[in-house]
Amino acid sequence: MKHDKTSPAFFVLVVMLVLMSTGPILMMVLTSLRLNVDIMSDTSSLIFMPTLRNYETVLCNALWYTPEHLGRCDKTFGRALGNSLLVSVTATALTLVIGCMAAYALVRFRFLGRDVVSFSTLILRMIPPAVLLVPVFGIWTYQFGLDGTLSGLVLVYVAMNLPFVIWILQSFIRQVPIQLEEAARIDGAGPFAVFFLVVLPLIRPGLAAAAIFTFRIAWNEFLLGNALTDRGTRTVPVTIVNRLTEYDIDWGVIMATGMLLAVPPIIFTLVASRQIITGMTAGAVKG
Amino acid sequence: MPKITLAGVTKRFGALEVLPPLDLDLADGEFTVLVGPSGCGKSTTLRMLAGLETISGGEIFFDGRPVGALEPKDRDIAMVFQDYALYPHMNIARNMSFALRLAKTPASEIEKRVKLVADMLNISHLLHRKPSELSGGQRQRVAMGRALVRDASTFLFDEPLSNLDAKLRGKMRTELAEMRGKLHKNMIYVTHDQVEAMTLGDRIVVMSEGRIQQQGSPEELFKKPANMFVAGFIGSPSMNFITAVLEGRGQETFAISPGLCVPVPSSAAEAAGGREIVVGVRPSSIHLEHPRGIPIELRVVVSEYLGAQTVVAARTPDGTEVLVEIASGRRFCAGEAIIMQIVPEDILLFSKESGLRI
Repeated sequence: MKHDKTSPAFFVLVVMLVLMSTGPILMMVLTSLRLNVDIMSDTSSLIFMPTLRNYETVLCNALWYTPEHLGRCDKTFGRALGNSLLVSVTATALTLVIGCMAAYALVRFRFLGRDVVSFSTLILRMIPPAVLLVPVFGIWTYQFGLDGTLSGLVLVYVAMNLPFVIWILQSFIRQVPIQLEEAARIDGAGPFAVFFLVVLPLIRPGLAAAAIFTFRIAWNEFLLGNALTDRGTRTVPVTIVNRLTEYDIDWGVIMATGMLLAVPPIIFTLVASRQIITGMTAGAVKG
Repeated sequence: MPKITLAGVTKRFGALEVLPPLDLDLADGEFTVLVGPSGCGKSTTLRMLAGLETISGGEIFFDGRPVGALEPKDRDIAMVFQDYALYPHMNIARNMSFALRLAKTPASEIEKRVKLVADMLNISHLLHRKPSELSGGQRQRVAMGRALVRDASTFLFDEPLSNLDAKLRGKMRTELAEMRGKLHKNMIYVTHDQVEAMTLGDRIVVMSEGRIQQQGSPEELFKKPANMFVAGFIGSPSMNFITAVLEGRGQETFAISPGLCVPVPSSAAEAAGGREIVVGVRPSSIHLEHPRGIPIELRVVVSEYLGAQTVVAARTPDGTEVLVEIASGRRFCAGEAIIMQIVPEDILLFSKESGLRI
């Protein structure tokens, strides 16, 4: 029996898998381009008049013109997108800054309890966010008064992501030959110059990986976001769910929001993953 | 250029003392080589001088100024590392100028100095490449260039040639020796290779187990080794040691071993402090013929033809291995019994107990 001819069943299986994974996305794209009348019509077909109205509705307060079909601009989605971006970018930046310094200290400095700290960062990672929900809500609301603020949300996301980021960056920092740091110290670099001019450029791939990870989690997070935000500070995932009311579900707008929700992480991942290149330390030391 | 003094410097890791108290004076403008087998503490000493390793006791002085607590950057030193330690994310020009840029040197000055050193080391054409695009020898040059650009008062070398192949090592050694003449700086060079030590050093410090065994010029170490360790370490092939028994015959004393009888001055016999003594003979001090030679009875095991020289590995009747280095010409057969002559002036005597030269 010849093996060089692939069985048709294999192709069927592959096509099915592709449909299963891209189907929902495809449906989301198609729905977001339809008017509600088309979405709700019984004769749902692939033939319809595509429109950007739903996107206009979502982004009405960011547009330079006022869409004709809207009587009143509902700013909820636009605001939520802004909130999401602000929270995710700030949380990612803060996590990276704190994470790389903490990881560096854990790898290079000898101090009492270093191993305990290093291990407990991983243990913290094992706690599901749902467990944190109630205590965090209590503390944020009654002690810090951070409920309903974006900074409260940023704080939670930084705390949630730091353990993993520290852990992942530790392994990258370990790969930086210690001789490079010594050479830099001899060349006249103080501790900060060593860190910023020698170590940081070399762990860029690690920083990129950690950034992608943190950004996606902060961007998608719903549970804590739902509990800690109010009307003005809701993020996109929370807003979408709040839109599903028992009186009215505007599918077109929700799907358009979903699409807009999917775009930033894709762009972010594409940009950040370009930094993930191997062999950063090639040529530094022999062997 | 500072005069460097190590006063009772020690290094401990926890309870483990890796370097017992060490005293060393390094004169101004000297090329000092610290040499010894691996684990003898030479690299630790260098790293303490550099400030990369803290000192557990004692003090280091540069021109009488204590520097033990200073950061490396405050010691005015440059260092070449064994495995190059080039910054992989910077090109060669930026690697070389890193220290100058940190010191906020004007750009025109940086460019001038990098160019000068690059020309000297023949790496001008590599300035825009990354370290990963360079061969081992080129990387080593860059590592040296990075140190030389600094114009520091003291240069430290930590086995800089040990990662290169034999031919390249020889070439770089010559270049280093040439450079030494031009620079007139304090240079402290660590190596385990005694050939490097002998060819480069104004002064050699032989270390073993954290202790200085002897220091002096290459010639002093070769001709007047303080003890058996130095005698065996310096010189290639290394010195032969034959254990002999002291015996008085009439007025004279002899060190007698099967196949060998060496007259020993009475003062040396007393200093030996026991019945046994060690006779040290360099392979190059044994000849086929010598008018006043002391005969030694040998049986050839194997002979290695090295071109101009032949190294003969032989055994005395009691089985002690003896290496002989003679000019090529005569061929030897394995198992051949032969009587050779030792140059009497070249014989060194060591105490069997202490290992010290008598």
